[in-house]
Amino acid sequence: MLSPAEWDAIQLSMRIALSAVGWILLPGIAIAWLLARREFRGKALLDGIVHLPLVLPPVVIGYLLLVSLGRRGFIGQWLHEVAGISLPFTWQGAAVASGVMAFPLFVRAVRLSLEAVDPKLEAAAHTLGAGRWRIFFTITLPLSLPGLLTGTMLAFARALSEFGATITFASNIPGETRTLPLALYTLIQSPGQEAAAARLCVISVVIAMASLVASEWLARSARLRTRERDG
Amino acid sequence: MTDAMNDAIKTYTAEHDDVDIVPVYASSSTLSRQIANGAPTVLFISANQKWMDWLEDEDVAVQQRINLLQNRLALIAPADEADGDFTPGETGELESLLDDGERLAVGDPDHVPAGIYAKQALKQLGEWEALEPRLARANDVRSALVLVARGETPAGVVYQTDAEASDGVTTLGLFPLDTHAPIVYPTALISTEDSDAQDNPDAAAFRAWLEGSEAMAIFADHGFASALENDVSKDNDS
Repeated sequence: MLSPAEWDAIQLSMRIALSAVGWILLPGIAIAWLLARREFRGKALLDGIVHLPLVLPPVVIGYLLLVSLGRRGFIGQWLHEVAGISLPFTWQGAAVASGVMAFPLFVRAVRLSLEAVDPKLEAAAHTLGAGRWRIFFTITLPLSLPGLLTGTMLAFARALSEFGATITFASNIPGETRTLPLALYTLIQSPGQEAAAARLCVISVVIAMASLVASEWLARSARLRTRERDG
Repeated sequence: MTDAMNDAIKTYTAEHDDVDIVPVYASSSTLSRQIANGAPTVLFISANQKWMDWLEDEDVAVQQRINLLQNRLALIAPADEADGDFTPGETGELESLLDDGERLAVGDPDHVPAGIYAKQALKQLGEWEALEPRLARANDVRSALVLVARGETPAGVVYQTDAEASDGVTTLGLFPLDTHAPIVYPTALISTEDSDAQDNPDAAAFRAWLEGSEAMAIFADHGFASALENDVSKDNDS
């Protein structure tokens, strides 16, 4: 039913999107928590930087990644010399680019749900002798689970559809960085490939719808569970 | 093409201040699809024959088609790493320029014209098999140029005109002309249902001016050669 090239693109997209979501989870939750619960100097600046990928054209982000993480970039040079890691033109590089683009969506969703957690519950736990980390993992995190799930699915969908930053930073290499959107773009650029492009369009729609439905379902069941426990 | 065309338009409108030219720059594929979908256009300069052919197949009124300019393929390296000359097909194998894990920057040979020409040339030189998995495929030729200028790849294949436009790269050598199809820029008037470009005196005049010596001198400054004298028929394109 699917051609090898299509299958390649789907698997690659999944791997890149999952890795992207994987690496942003911890820093995303940490920054969302900082923004939701702490007042500090430079908070507005941090908030602004986190949101940059949402407001800048993706190609600009791709170029900034190239300038910073490329072989001659101020971080990339160090990575290459010390760790032997080279991100451009690799699927790992594509995962970094997709993750950066998905980051603000994830942080926004998690921050909102963290802000919605009643601080009195945490204070109560504190008076009962629970430590900071215990409060975070047994009260704060479970209560913000719906937002966490929504954020994760949003980030996953965004990473799956990432195009501009990926093609600029990681190039369009079949089997390495040619994800679904890049494969679709390549087909649209070639005369006479309309039918193949239409097939990929359908595949993209199916995957996007499936992940949205899954996200709705997860969020609803998380809400239900919270309500049952509270009620 | 963008820089050259901007200069040409600036010169032309300075002489004809009653004419207003609105240039639209994008890849030939994007422009062709826009034109086929009715974008108001009177003159189209395509970077390759294939998309002009495609427009004709789509029953767009392509009129007075000629090949205006031609270009060459250049092998480039980052300016601060360039080490001597390297003429593809003469000096040695291109692969010798790449260390382990390094790639050759090109326009994506699946759809970028410069990359399609590069693929033809590499095939002709018998290096395609070895280099195909080692390409860094950019989504247009200028992006390939940036990859080389930033030192992400030690070498790349772009048009001679792009190589000359960038201070960040050095041309190691030109690909022999017989390794790829002629790189020509077909130009045609485009008519739509509402407007017949052939009846538009401004379009015809600008088009005629583009073929003249004044415009050709501007294009030559940017590394283009005229394709008018040895007009290669479109059959030569693969």
